[in-house]
Amino acid sequence: MDIAKKQNSFRNNEDRRWKFSEIIADPVVHERWEKVRKFFFLRESTYDMSNHCNIQCEGCYYFKGDKQFVEEIQDPLLWQELMKNEKKRGITYVVLAGAEPSLAPALLEVCYKEIPLGCIASNGLSQISPSVDYNIHISVWGNDETSLRVRKAKNMLQRQVRNYRNDPRAIFVYTFTRENIDEIFEVARFLKENDCKLTFNMFSAPTGYDGNLRHTEASLANTREAMLKLITDYPKNVLFSHYNAVAHTHKFGLHALYDCPYPRMNPSTDIGLGRSFRQYRTDLTWDRNMSCCVPDTDCSDCRHYAAGSAVVTAKLFRHASDPETFKAWLDYVDAYLAIWVRGYEQGENLCNHIVSPPKAETRIRN
Amino acid sequence: MTAETTTNDIINRVAHVMIEELKLEDVTPETFDPDIDLVDEIGIDSMDLATVALVLQDEYGMRFDEDDYPKLTTIRLIAEYIKKELS
Repeated sequence: MDIAKKQNSFRNNEDRRWKFSEIIADPVVHERWEKVRKFFFLRESTYDMSNHCNIQCEGCYYFKGDKQFVEEIQDPLLWQELMKNEKKRGITYVVLAGAEPSLAPALLEVCYKEIPLGCIASNGLSQISPSVDYNIHISVWGNDETSLRVRKAKNMLQRQVRNYRNDPRAIFVYTFTRENIDEIFEVARFLKENDCKLTFNMFSAPTGYDGNLRHTEASLANTREAMLKLITDYPKNVLFSHYNAVAHTHKFGLHALYDCPYPRMNPSTDIGLGRSFRQYRTDLTWDRNMSCCVPDTDCSDCRHYAAGSAVVTAKLFRHASDPETFKAWLDYVDAYLAIWVRGYEQGENLCNHIVSPPKAETRIRN
Repeated sequence: MTAETTTNDIINRVAHVMIEELKLEDVTPETFDPDIDLVDEIGIDSMDLATVALVLQDEYGMRFDEDDYPKLTTIRLIAEYIKKELS
């Protein structure tokens, strides 16, 4: 068959195969595609900033693993050198996490000066200098009663909101556990009353964890229902989409659904996260075998919001299969950018119904 | 049209799509080295390659396998892949 005939045969296939140009032909879709693709230059790595914290939370990833025992390097000059080298190898986005970055203020300044795009994962109990203009993700694990029990901290949400109300960097990240699903409604109402931004995370069990916070199929379904209600109830405050809810509350975890590209689960160093991503410990070393955004998570249970931001986003090719699946993916990426990039505004969601992850059932069956 | 000419045509077209989609500067389809490593030397990442693959699929009426396109790290490798799919 010559090339022209083969091309026509492909294009006339009864089993409709959408051309990418058809998928983005709708002006609204095209505009959103152009909006999100401007950020394809982001190349992330993550960095533990301190090996101590001002609270001790049950199920904390950091204190479940070995990273907590390494040396804590707090010399700004060494961090500056690290950041310069990171920039040289193409890193354009830093995630400053573990154990509590607000306890290392001088290091935050150094990182921001060298790589000005990034995010800080904090418990929100200490204020971070406004000169560090990264997004700040403030972890919320339930109402104040639950926080007192699980995190041993009094009036947690009130203190977090007092510190970060009216701060455009702040995004409150509510982690759904098996036990705190119903509490989201009072927390979301309180955050909305204080004009705070909110997104959702899923408790993903640390390696070896078998406690009560681990999700079940029933708790995943209930969580999805709560997420979808809040997207509708508080569209200006909640940074999320239907497809975010699908991806993070599916009975199968992110790796089973999307093939996690982080080095810990991906041996390839050809391109993408498998090539460039590193997770630095506080002694400024990294270990490829442990490199992912939350290294002490049980990968089979991982539904972590930070993981999804990379794992789902990286699967552009797979989602460019038909207009609805692509719109769902665009919503996901649009929400992800609003959560992670300072000044990026989430647009109206394009796909307000449930779309299944592409090839999910086939992949899992095989 | 000889097989060699066809490959060269595809190489030229791939270079054109890459320049246009990724907004590459200081290079033309004619000056784009088909053997330059796109990842190491141009700084192209997986999302960029996916974008280019989607556009090329439309143009040539073929499919890249999802597992294959990340390995196609030069313009010549991409062109040869397309040619093989069309033959």
